Amino acid sequence: MKRISLGLVVLAASIPCVRAQNNYEIQVYGADTVAPRTTMVELHSNFTADGQKNFVGTQYPDNHAEHETIEITQGINDWSEVGFYIFTSERSGQGVQWVGDHLRPRVRIPEKWRWPVGVSLSTEVGYQRARYAPDTWDWEIRPIVDKTSGRWYWAVNPALERAWHGPDVKLGIDFSPSVKVSYDFTKKITGGVEYYADYGSITNIASLHDQQQQIFPAIDLNVSPDWEFNFGVGIGPTAATDHWIIKCIIGRRFQWGKKR
Amino acid sequence: MLDNECMVGAGDSNGGALLRNFTGMFTSRRKFLRRASFFGASVALSGAVQSCSPLFALNQAGAPAPDYRIEIAEIEWELSPKKKIRTVAYDGQIPGQLLNLTEGKPVTIEIVNHLDREEIVHWHGQWIAVAADGAMEEGSPMIAAGGSTLVHFTPRPAGLHWYHTHAMAGHDLKLGLFTGQSGALHVAAANDPGSYDQQQFIIMHDWEPYYSASGDGSLMVMYVCGSINGRMLGHNAPIQVREGQSVLFHILNASATEPHWLSLPGHRFKVLALDGAPVATEASVETLRLGPAERVTALVTMDTPGVFVLGEPRDEFRNAGMGTLVEYAGRSGKPTEPRDVELRWDYRAFADPNTVVHKPDVTIPLVFTSRFKGHGALDQWMINGKSWPNSEPIKLTSGLRHRLVFDNRSTDDHPVHLHRHNFELVSVRGAALSGVHKDVVIVDAGTTVEADLVANNRGDTLFHCHQQDHMDSGFMALFRYS
Repeated sequence: MKRISLGLVVLAASIPCVRAQNNYEIQVYGADTVAPRTTMVELHSNFTADGQKNFVGTQYPDNHAEHETIEITQGINDWSEVGFYIFTSERSGQGVQWVGDHLRPRVRIPEKWRWPVGVSLSTEVGYQRARYAPDTWDWEIRPIVDKTSGRWYWAVNPALERAWHGPDVKLGIDFSPSVKVSYDFTKKITGGVEYYADYGSITNIASLHDQQQQIFPAIDLNVSPDWEFNFGVGIGPTAATDHWIIKCIIGRRFQWGKKR
Repeated sequence: MLDNECMVGAGDSNGGALLRNFTGMFTSRRKFLRRASFFGASVALSGAVQSCSPLFALNQAGAPAPDYRIEIAEIEWELSPKKKIRTVAYDGQIPGQLLNLTEGKPVTIEIVNHLDREEIVHWHGQWIAVAADGAMEEGSPMIAAGGSTLVHFTPRPAGLHWYHTHAMAGHDLKLGLFTGQSGALHVAAANDPGSYDQQQFIIMHDWEPYYSASGDGSLMVMYVCGSINGRMLGHNAPIQVREGQSVLFHILNASATEPHWLSLPGHRFKVLALDGAPVATEASVETLRLGPAERVTALVTMDTPGVFVLGEPRDEFRNAGMGTLVEYAGRSGKPTEPRDVELRWDYRAFADPNTVVHKPDVTIPLVFTSRFKGHGALDQWMINGKSWPNSEPIKLTSGLRHRLVFDNRSTDDHPVHLHRHNFELVSVRGAALSGVHKDVVIVDAGTTVEADLVANNRGDTLFHCHQQDHMDSGFMALFRYS
């Protein structure tokens, strides 16, 4: 999940109850990469039904904001890909606003190595406007481990984030893990739970009150190898977390070139 | 008529089998034979000998010396200088030794199992008795861990066949046909004149299997590399030819699960036989398709001098090693690879132009379906809604023509194989044909193939998909003579 500069703001803010959370891409990554000669286009639609209602500094609140993110991922070979994001936000009275762009190269352990779990490493760098995130430049590195066994699937993303420009630069590296566990009810319907968190700086873990914790019961629909559907409703139990978020991901794979 | 239910007896004249398991107590062939004689004599003196006792027949026949000896053991094998694998193989080599047999001439083969688990060897394509066939589901005995077996049978029919393990692999990709336990079994017709200049055996195999997500949502088996005759492309001895020669290729796909295509740039294959059986029309094709366990016998006229790769036209397979070089005398340089080849294969190309389809006596529908078991699991396979071993035997009546209707309602292609018999294809995708006899046929996903089986070899007969992961997940059924 990419939530731009979320927990860092919490720690930086002098008033603990004031928080900022921007939900542009809410997804636990699996270890697979997009196949070569294939482009994956995803639309992430996230609506904050009950979230931050006040400005945090100059940053817009996200309550009732609709965030649409276009993610385009190109498979390079059987062990790498590059993703590109276009973040947008729509909120009453503001219209559709461009928020920023990110670039995300990723490498994985090739399947041919026959490891017992899937492993990949993603890194993401990008810019976002200060109106939508106080840190305008940031960087993330995300190890990914997953495993499918029978009808069960799990994935762990212990991501680390670092602000490059903005008020949170001095806070160092932020720990934002996410986890997914799911079960195949049928060939086409998979249900599970996704967990997203931001514990703050790895050298100064925030108190539970100031941590962001979200749980999304989610459904994946496997209607076709070319399509991806994910739908979930997130519950944020801590004060520093948006309380209700509805998310939806629709993805489509396009194959290019001659199959050899 | 080939009915050999009572396969053991003096003379063993009807394709019978002498087969017996012995345990690891027999540590050498000499001890084995001595102990066998003693045991046989003891049984005879006790008066408990049954007329069909394999051991009794063995002694009556004077304990014939084996014509071949196959040793099953673990080996380290070099597919290329940079790719060594540990696997189980026959006689310390991949593929196992070529067994050159003569149709109608009885053969005795000793099998020594050096493993710490039971094994079994199937004589694929041979019309022999259950005890010799090498399928535990039919009742063939396993070869005990550390034990030995003598197998005796009369080879028939002629053609390219093969021998391989018939042990279950389950989910273990280091067992069964994922290992190197396979070899060519060539049965020469007694009076085959052989109108060719040289013959070459091409045995394809895939190595280092792993599970991967498939397009249809379940796991499938993929491979790191492949080989022809046990070596990856560039590391096997080139096939040396001269311009104008006729080369008879005996080609076998010994892969556990993977169908393969084969091309030789600038040349065409004149297909003479499929699964060892001569075809009605010897059509020339640019590319061969072989499902797992399928065989093609084809003549190639060497009329395009150069250096070529005989191999998979699909880059990912050829780059993984599935190929071998063909070099014309006096030619050198970079080999021409099979690229941009149209992958087209149709059994009907080899059919009799004057289709003659006989009316069947019995029609047996065989519907192939699968059950989803999770995105991280193999599908469970079913024939007529039942998975092996929870299925009832399908009845055959000796002498009758049975129309087998292979109705593949799944999203996978299936190379289905019938033991101890072959069948004649009578329709593929609704188009009638005749004159193509096989013991393995690929039934493409969502299609129907019909084949006629004349029941003429009594005894339980196994039918299964030859993909190891499918047969181990229920895709088997037993035909039983009524």
